[in-house]
Amino acid sequence: MDVMSFFTWLEGSALGQMAKSYGGVYAMAQTVHLASMALLGGTVLVTDLRLLNVALTDVPSNVVADGAHKWFKVALTIILISGIFMVAGVAMKAYYNAFYWAKMAALATGIVFVFAVKRPLLKKDHSQIPGWVLKMTAVASLTVWFSVAACGRWIGFS
Amino acid sequence: MLNEVLLTFAQWLGAQQWSIGLHESFYMYNWIETTHVLTLTVFLGMLFVIDLRMLGLALTNVPASKIAERLDVPMMIGFTVMIITGFLLFYAIPVRTTQSVWFRLKVILLIVAGINAWIFRNRMKAAKPTWDNDPRPPKNVRIGAGLSLSLWIAIIFAGRAIAYDWFDCGQDHTDFINWAAGCVVDTAG
Repeated sequence: MDVMSFFTWLEGSALGQMAKSYGGVYAMAQTVHLASMALLGGTVLVTDLRLLNVALTDVPSNVVADGAHKWFKVALTIILISGIFMVAGVAMKAYYNAFYWAKMAALATGIVFVFAVKRPLLKKDHSQIPGWVLKMTAVASLTVWFSVAACGRWIGFS
Repeated sequence: MLNEVLLTFAQWLGAQQWSIGLHESFYMYNWIETTHVLTLTVFLGMLFVIDLRMLGLALTNVPASKIAERLDVPMMIGFTVMIITGFLLFYAIPVRTTQSVWFRLKVILLIVAGINAWIFRNRMKAAKPTWDNDPRPPKNVRIGAGLSLSLWIAIIFAGRAIAYDWFDCGQDHTDFINWAAGCVVDTAG
């Protein structure tokens, strides 16, 4: 099954039909998506602002990073579930939308970055990591998650 | 009477050159809306982290007041930009927005959330020495945090629903909906 066939199937599936037929349910899914996006943004910002020595400077960065990461995973899971429901209702529109694919690319980059780079690095004792490495990690993280959110918002405009 | 006044004001606002320009500008309007949503992430993101701490669910090894006080500045920066962009979004489409059930509900919920935040903040300051280091704050603090989370999720829903035309004036709705939306009969057709 190629990508286009998958999107065609998704829009015609029970999930796609439900998302299309019930505007109230769709709006609720959008609300859950936005709220979990805010939570994800909060966990990313708290960690990255701490790494940049902007916020919570009197709390060890290890403590902030560990505490925030648990809720980052919760937020990401809810975002993915609600996102699948949302795209099911407009699958073909999304398929032909450049910003949808830009968001997916940014999201995939963000997930890989968090679980393959950021988290393994931040699990270590931060006092053993050069400050510039922590700061560069924070800047990269803020950039990639800003891209995900901005591209996501722009899907609706194009 | 109030609805007529609000509508007259909205019509005057909507006739302003800048309002029309903003409404008709594709990029400007979209950038304002994007900024509104992104700063909502900054404001609510910080608020959610604070509320989760007050619920005893996140960063429980950090004093509660430290989380609330240190995240206050970035949260308020996000809030300020969110409010400014929110006003600009209203300014671009004032007539329809004024007569939106969802916009009216959102404003009411924002006021309730503001009152809850004020009570919550005072309660936290007063009781700080007694529970600040506790992983699980007292029940009244947890209720305040739960209420805050619920109200803001409801505000997101109301904000999201403004875009839908379910209860727009001029359609065949019940008297209650027309009253809640503030539909003025003369302009409803």
